[in-house]
Amino acid sequence: MSRKNRAEAVSGWLFTAPTIIVLGLFLAVPVVMAAWVSVSDWRGVGSPFSSDVSFVGGQNYAKILGGGGLDEQNFGTALRNNLWYVVFVVPLQTAVALGLALLVSGRALRGRGFFRTAFYFPSVTSSVAITVLWLFLFSSTGAVNKIISWAGINGPNWFNEPTGLFHLGAGTPPAFLADHTMLGISWWEWLAGPSVAMTAFILLAVFTTSGTFMLLFIAALQNLSPEVDEAAMIDGAGSWTRFWRVTLPQLRPTLFTVLTLGLIGTWQVFDQIYTGTKGAPANTTLTPAFLSYTSAFQSQQWGVGAAIAFILFGIIVVFTLLQRWALRDRPVSRRRMRWIEKGSTR
Amino acid sequence: MTSAPTPATAGGGTEPTRASRAAVPGGAVPDLGATTVTQAPGPGRRPRRLTPRSVVLLVFGVLIAVVYLLPFYVAIVNAFKTDQDASLHPLALPVTWTGAAFQTLFENSDFGIWAMNSIIVAVFVTLGRIFFDSLAGYALARLRFPGRQTVFALLIAVMAVPGVVLLIPKFLVINQLGMYDSYSGMIVPLLVDAAGVFIMKNFFESIPVSVEEQAKIDGAGTFRTFWSVVLPMARPAVVTITILSFQGSWNELAHFIVSTSSPDLTTLTKGVASLASGALSAGNQFPVKLAAAFVMTIPVAVAFFVFQKRIMNGSDGAVKE
Amino acid sequence: MQRRTARMLTAGAMALTAALTLSACGSGFSSSGGNGSGGGAAKLTSSDDPLTVLIGSSGDAETAAVKSAAAAWSKSSGTGATVQPANNLDQQLAQGFAAGKPADVFYVSTSSLAGYAANGSLLAYGDQLEDTSDFYPTLTKSFTVDDQLYCAPKDFSTLALFINTKDWKAAGLTDSDVPTTWDQLRTVSEKLTRDGRVGLTTSPQIERLGAFMTQAGGALTNGAQTKATVDSAANVEALDYVKGLLDDGSMKFSSDLGESWGGDAFGKDKAAMTIEGNWLTGAMSSSYPSVDYKVVALPKGPKGAGTLQFTNCWGIAKDSPNQKAALSFVEKMTSTDQQLAFAKAFGVMPSVESAAGTWKQEYPQYAAFLDQADAAQGLPNASGTADVIADFDSKLGSLRTTDTKTLLEGVQKNMAAALKG
Repeated sequence: MSRKNRAEAVSGWLFTAPTIIVLGLFLAVPVVMAAWVSVSDWRGVGSPFSSDVSFVGGQNYAKILGGGGLDEQNFGTALRNNLWYVVFVVPLQTAVALGLALLVSGRALRGRGFFRTAFYFPSVTSSVAITVLWLFLFSSTGAVNKIISWAGINGPNWFNEPTGLFHLGAGTPPAFLADHTMLGISWWEWLAGPSVAMTAFILLAVFTTSGTFMLLFIAALQNLSPEVDEAAMIDGAGSWTRFWRVTLPQLRPTLFTVLTLGLIGTWQVFDQIYTGTKGAPANTTLTPAFLSYTSAFQSQQWGVGAAIAFILFGIIVVFTLLQRWALRDRPVSRRRMRWIEKGSTR
Repeated sequence: MTSAPTPATAGGGTEPTRASRAAVPGGAVPDLGATTVTQAPGPGRRPRRLTPRSVVLLVFGVLIAVVYLLPFYVAIVNAFKTDQDASLHPLALPVTWTGAAFQTLFENSDFGIWAMNSIIVAVFVTLGRIFFDSLAGYALARLRFPGRQTVFALLIAVMAVPGVVLLIPKFLVINQLGMYDSYSGMIVPLLVDAAGVFIMKNFFESIPVSVEEQAKIDGAGTFRTFWSVVLPMARPAVVTITILSFQGSWNELAHFIVSTSSPDLTTLTKGVASLASGALSAGNQFPVKLAAAFVMTIPVAVAFFVFQKRIMNGSDGAVKE
Repeated sequence: MQRRTARMLTAGAMALTAALTLSACGSGFSSSGGNGSGGGAAKLTSSDDPLTVLIGSSGDAETAAVKSAAAAWSKSSGTGATVQPANNLDQQLAQGFAAGKPADVFYVSTSSLAGYAANGSLLAYGDQLEDTSDFYPTLTKSFTVDDQLYCAPKDFSTLALFINTKDWKAAGLTDSDVPTTWDQLRTVSEKLTRDGRVGLTTSPQIERLGAFMTQAGGALTNGAQTKATVDSAANVEALDYVKGLLDDGSMKFSSDLGESWGGDAFGKDKAAMTIEGNWLTGAMSSSYPSVDYKVVALPKGPKGAGTLQFTNCWGIAKDSPNQKAALSFVEKMTSTDQQLAFAKAFGVMPSVESAAGTWKQEYPQYAAFLDQADAAQGLPNASGTADVIADFDSKLGSLRTTDTKTLLEGVQKNMAAALKG
């Protein structure tokens, strides 16, 4: 290497060294350590690499995924809660973000700057502060219940109501649902939907993240060339058709980003649970991330806590890949092709 | 010197790729460079009339804005009420405006210590991230060195690991290194974030190479080129990193839970979270909790408004009407 | 392709080497496994470092009392002592143990004792105490594991019935109406449910409702904690009784009243009666000084009197560098005079029998707590039962809408698994 090239290489390494050290030490190495802890019987005292700690294979994983004990029950409950949370939050926040972006990008709205700021502001605040707010707003005599009482509805005691949304008003469960279990929870419980308390958290999530994603959509909408839209208008497409067939497909990359970020974020919900309900009522706001934390730091079961964390990691990867597959660029179907050809020969 | 890139094309000109928008723990990722709302040129300038459609949209927008701003109004208003007043009349203005909640907050709790710790951590982390992220971003964008691809791949891999999965492991590593329960344990792990490196890298790639070649011809070394020539041109990206870092470190919670336990090192997030779970005995003192949430949000809000204006002013020229 | 794999392999090798190097040079973890065995005449560590005392305080009164006691001890012993009220005692202790830097002295509850004793975090100093005969035998039993007394009980509390005297009089009730049976409790609660308040409230926890279980002759486990007895007929009877009160509308859980525990609901007059322990007296005088109340024994159930007992002990960390000073601190804190001072500050009862007489003399209004001590039972403390109890608590909130037998059977399953493993 010439002197200049060597100097450049050295600079290159020097410049990236701090990044490599910090990220390696505090992101890469911890994953390795946690992997070891999850297959060991470390009790939380002394080093996990000391000679007292032995390899136990998949014992911790077996405890969580089978075993019939409290560990399996708690994990099943946490998984169910988080699954419903994801199913509700991701579509909602994407739709709301897109809607707000369209509203704010449209030509007809005045004072767009103010609206943009108003919609984005909640995303800037800390999750702790917003959770404190939410605990107050959704308390049994709080603002939300006051407002819906104007419509004559008696609001529930939000954060203390463990009934699942789909169980509100339901009677006794049918035997075939109540008797069979998966991961320690009966199928009836799996289909309960998010609890009323969890629903409050769902609203919190949509409130705080729609602003961020709104900005992503605004940026994408700005990058759209208006000619395509104008061409569709000339072709006689109404605004709804224009949105569905012209605008939305062009937003696919951003949609993809928003959905991915949404999935990754919702599967990790921790701060709000830690600050707010800590799993109550009746474990319906328990999430795998929070369970991992309490198993390790409160119940002193470090192996189980680490195992839960890795399973969570796996779940996130699976969901991201699933979403990628679902939104992949598919070749145009023959039926659609015929419609396009018919339309172009006019 | 060739012309500096205008704020409109910098930091947001390229289509937001997934990598550059990965979520930062505790905060959001605004692409503030792209918050300029442009109006698409039509087949002729249309004057803005007050059409029925625009009135409907305005009403709609106001309604939604009210929903988004109501929680903050409720928080501020109730922070100035007595406990009784807050539980009975959550929506109304205070019967008597009282600063009792703030007094309890500042006198009976460690709020001052919490604020100080949050400030220390936020300042160091923000400065650190600006420096290290831009260094690494520049190296990855411009410098040729062996292993560059590997580092880049590792960066992406690291960004894929979800943050919360690292709770227990990070605690173990911080312990092992002897940094537990100290400022270094709180600050050092946050000093670099992969998303920030990505943002800087993307930005540096958009700067014309001719600028640096000019500097090299003039005899500047690599660091000199970076520090005195390229970095000043990266102002919008640096501003973005500053806001993101400040926000991220100010709002961070999980990391502080695992890296400290001493009350002297509690930050605002941890402290307010403990307030929320009733640490000040006689529970349900909502005005105190709301006052705490309100005060802790002020710095981030101020930073947000200040920088947002800067960016909006800076891109006035780029707004196409 | 080859170059890329080579690069990936180098990166992986680097990461692995880094991990192994880290494990080798671990300055944060101390290999505490070898420091002296648990019992016997083990040598205590000693140093000039001040002591850190971590407490799970019930409120400002307790924190202030412990702080002033620690200050007095510091002055006389010459060693400093800092008292920290914990936000989350279990979490902070766990982190401290794992980091090898725990507090020197800390509260240990009966439920957490088993876990800490098992993983070697605690110093079993029971045999180094000057006089253990003064402690109530039931209390020392709660803190003995494998015939070793791990720590000295610091105080104890029982559950009793708190009655708001103003509401009592307003409902036209007199001293002779104080309930002594379940039926009387039901009648009285109904009479007190008026004017927008409810007759009785408790927090939805087995740590309160368990009192009814003892009155029905039931318990969560057998005496030796080898068999789970959660779904016994007695327990079903007890919970069905509570359910009856809930259905009548004369009882509501504190969570349904928007409060985090029965004490707040009682203090804010959302309920006329509550079942709580000694600590409520301290909270009442500091947070709700204007409320007049009296304390009476819990009513007798089908099988007689019964209540729950709660106690904590002063744990000393095995990793503490100054165990000698810690022991001296604990001796001072459990002395008769100091315990009476604590009793004055936040209402708990001394764990030493010699103080019983004085205590009853000074606080005749709280005699009900001490009188029930004979019929008091503690909750199970075997390893693993704490999680089962926490899970049980989480399900009790919806007691009204759950079938009692099914609920108890579920907990029985978990408890049996915990006692086995």
